Amino acid sequence: MASSVLANFLSIFTPLKAPPQPSKAPPSNISLSTESSSKHKDAFAPMVASSNSSSSSSCSGDLMSVVCPSLAYANTLYFRSAYNVQVIVEDNEPEEKLLGRFRREVMKAGVIQECKRRRYFENKQEEKKRKHREAAKRNRRRRTPFRNPNDEKLEGVSKKREDDDDNWDMPSDSPLN
Amino acid sequence: MAKAIPKKGSRGRIGSRKSTRKIPKGVIHIQASFNNTIVTVTDVRGRVVSWSSAGTCGFRGTRRGTPFAAQTAAGNAIRAVVDQGMQRAEVMIKGPGLGRDAALRAIRRSGILLTFVRDVTPMPHNGCRPPKKRRV
Repeated sequence: MASSVLANFLSIFTPLKAPPQPSKAPPSNISLSTESSSKHKDAFAPMVASSNSSSSSSCSGDLMSVVCPSLAYANTLYFRSAYNVQVIVEDNEPEEKLLGRFRREVMKAGVIQECKRRRYFENKQEEKKRKHREAAKRNRRRRTPFRNPNDEKLEGVSKKREDDDDNWDMPSDSPLN
Repeated sequence: MAKAIPKKGSRGRIGSRKSTRKIPKGVIHIQASFNNTIVTVTDVRGRVVSWSSAGTCGFRGTRRGTPFAAQTAAGNAIRAVVDQGMQRAEVMIKGPGLGRDAALRAIRRSGILLTFVRDVTPMPHNGCRPPKKRRV
């Protein structure tokens, strides 16, 4: 039944997509994704966290890229549903590991945050506040990358900063000294 | 929404001939809202085989939204389907809610082979206006 549906879709779309894609970039993208899909047995590498429009790889990627390269993007047709996050389960994966992986993917995609935001309407003020907060959080995280609190390097860095602040002495490698 | 496919051998027969279909592979949909968790087991095409929810498992009120209730709901739904001979399943999780992880854990523990775990929470591309903020 699924194959007949697939055949129907192919017959509808092949005449429309007959003009071949001129650029080389899309096929290389597909080859990458099919490569990752074929390496299912690797532990964490082929993490297929896709965006909203379900443009991730799948086990059908190989088939589609062989049958009709221009249709290899149309994963939505094959899966009949768009998903936000997909986690492929390997054999005998411990329960906690699977759950942890799924949770991490979901957090990376920001699904739950987005749901909570869209529950109630937020006016322009609220939206501005939220964007400000998010930007601050992002900048703060980028400005101060995570440092070990009990590291002596931290003290060294702070000392160096103090030395730089004192500008009354000439620097030691200056030609005037 | 209803797929009108003419059945071959049931002309003039009342009701479905085989109420228990043997399906080796199915899809488990988990809808985890803040107040409840509904677990529906369907076949690959989407036709529902059995369902269970935290409410039908006997929890009422605030206890429906708890992860334990989700766990029992998932256990219930899977038990009814394992008897029909389902071995592999895909999991589609929808919605925010505490029942997401608990139901997944219960499914994993029940011994069904999982192929995919997907999150299919519907995301509008800025569509309908949501209801106003609650002033509690």
